[in-house]
Amino acid sequence: MIKTKKRVDRLLTFNLPLLVMLIFTLFPLYWTINTAFKHEGDIIKRPLGYVPASPTIDNFVTAWTNVGFSTYFKNSLLVGVCTVFIVLILSTLSGYALSRYKFKGKRAFLLMLLCTQFIPRSMLIIPLFIIFKFLGLISNPLSLIITYAAVEIPFTTVLMNGFISNVPRELEEAAMVDGCNKLQAIRYVIFPLLVPGIVATSVFTFIYTWNEFLIALMLTNQQGKFTLPVGLSYMMGEFNINYGALAAGSVIALIPAVILFAYAQKHLVNGMGGAVKG
Amino acid sequence: MYTKFFKTVAATSMAASLLLAGCSSDSGSSKEANTKEKKEDPNEKVTLTFWDENAGPQRTPIWEELIKRFEEKNPNIDVEYVGLPKDSAKAKYDASIAAEDTPDVGSVQTSWLPEFALREALLPLDSYFDKWDEKGKINKGAVAFNKEIVVDHKLYGVPYTQNLDILWVRPDWFKEKGTKIPETWDEFFTAAQQQTDKANNRYGYTIRGGAGGSFQLQRLMYAYSGEKDYIKDGKSTINNKKHVEFLKKYFALYKQNTPQSDITNGYKEMIAGFDTGAVAMVQHNIGSFGEHKEALQPDQFQAIPLPKTADGKYVAEGGNTIGISVFKTTKHPDAAWKLAAFLNSKESQSYWNQQVGQIPTNSDVLSESWVKDSPHIQTAFKVYDDKETILYEPPFYLPEYRSILDTVVDPGTQAVMSGKMTVEEFLNEWAKAIEDAQKKYDEHFKK
Repeated sequence: MIKTKKRVDRLLTFNLPLLVMLIFTLFPLYWTINTAFKHEGDIIKRPLGYVPASPTIDNFVTAWTNVGFSTYFKNSLLVGVCTVFIVLILSTLSGYALSRYKFKGKRAFLLMLLCTQFIPRSMLIIPLFIIFKFLGLISNPLSLIITYAAVEIPFTTVLMNGFISNVPRELEEAAMVDGCNKLQAIRYVIFPLLVPGIVATSVFTFIYTWNEFLIALMLTNQQGKFTLPVGLSYMMGEFNINYGALAAGSVIALIPAVILFAYAQKHLVNGMGGAVKG
Repeated sequence: MYTKFFKTVAATSMAASLLLAGCSSDSGSSKEANTKEKKEDPNEKVTLTFWDENAGPQRTPIWEELIKRFEEKNPNIDVEYVGLPKDSAKAKYDASIAAEDTPDVGSVQTSWLPEFALREALLPLDSYFDKWDEKGKINKGAVAFNKEIVVDHKLYGVPYTQNLDILWVRPDWFKEKGTKIPETWDEFFTAAQQQTDKANNRYGYTIRGGAGGSFQLQRLMYAYSGEKDYIKDGKSTINNKKHVEFLKKYFALYKQNTPQSDITNGYKEMIAGFDTGAVAMVQHNIGSFGEHKEALQPDQFQAIPLPKTADGKYVAEGGNTIGISVFKTTKHPDAAWKLAAFLNSKESQSYWNQQVGQIPTNSDVLSESWVKDSPHIQTAFKVYDDKETILYEPPFYLPEYRSILDTVVDPGTQAVMSGKMTVEEFLNEWAKAIEDAQKKYDEHFKK
């Protein structure tokens, strides 16, 4: 009797809410995939088809070749990878400095880092445009990489500060007693322990750059230099939406993020725990 | 060990620099192009950039085809197409004007011309236009309007397409219930009532209560009142008695003869209501023809003009056009004009407008069979060709005009629909915002 009650309780308080949440989260994804494989006529047909009647990959071909997703995908990947690389190096080193050294104005510095996150991005557009025009970097992926890195570094530095603070100082000291210098101690002792934090930081940064639309549109004046979110917007005209290609484009855009999360999931959970504790 | 670590860091940094340097392939050349002053040689190889302010699956291929045709005719000119998503296009133009990094040629909405001209971003086209052999073919009223709304009354944009707000109705339902297709405002309100059948989830009308609704609301108000002036002696006509009367009747339709969700309706939701058979009448422009055609049978949708005023006149908003502009920063004004003229030629306007389903401004196109065979375009002509038609002129020249519509009118519409504000309060607030903006404008520009 008690066992049955426990089972019912578990079903009502655990399984059922999780199932509802799962359906709520996955249904839009399922619908996007469903639409991506449908013929144009089937998409607007009533009653709605929950499974494509005759699946097609035409929408993927349209998105990839006709709309230029192959180019946008490469651009997004280049910008994303380079930004992650820069952000990781700089935020790890600054996070280390914040965690291990005492200096005047440290709290104010941390506060300033957090304050940068409150500046609305749209306010930065015109100053950024002018700066990059002066540097000759408009329509150049470098302008996006620099901007995204600048936007992400403050937050990821605070994150890394938390992760590094969780690594006992004694480990470093022991490594130095064994003959390591400071940089070697960081590389051989601290770095391996920071993997969950690094993965979390990388995933955050990559997802931000992968999805960012406004700055990517504003700092690029050449069709061939746009990134994926801008490409996706081409599927939506004022009076006309190519739902099939839009869904196919969204699925293409999702792939790297899903792979990244699938690989990083374990580290991500550990990493977030570390940052919160810090 | 120490050396090895530094070697690794150095190698990684170098790899990163190379990777980043690889991205900057053309920055040098563009800088060079910006600094060199060149005289135009008609045979010189020229690259122009063209910005489309409403890129999408429908329009982008049309522009690409026209650009291909232009390049075939002008082998020394390459045109680089850049499509801007409609919602962000104005912001993109704004940023590029602020940084003086504008395209050579662009598709520019007429309502943007006053602001762009004030910011000295555009090249006056008067001298080119006067010498152009097709100048007489372009709708004279539209050209004059473009000149009238800018501060120095020069021509900054040659209109290539025209639009008109109309009502899309379901003729099959009207026939079924014996409802008269509305020609007057009384008939419109009666039709909305007669067509409502809540038990069958059918509504007579749908209101655009969400984003962008302000434009449509304004066009309806002036179509009802027949008022020509938007501002008279510094006072806005927005809150005149007829507009109050109209909005009271109009918003009374909400929930009675319209879906409850109308309060947040954007364009897509509004059109979806009509195209999925939930709504009998929707107000929009002729540009949504393609969507209705895709979703409904030919006998299930019909374009009719907005009802006439009490004294029997049609009213349309002046400047409901889009034009081709040349930007001041262009290094190749002659080539840029060549492109602008080509895009306004009979051949190009015919192709563009036929594909999009809008009204060409080149008179030579109007006699083509596709124009005659398009009932929705004929409906628009019926309004524009009527000598009695009143063209009211919104104050596009006010820099705050657009933001007033977005920040005062759109939320105000929702406040009235939800009963938090009266029609009078709403219109007074709207009128005050316009009057304040006009006052500021006069102080700055009419010294």
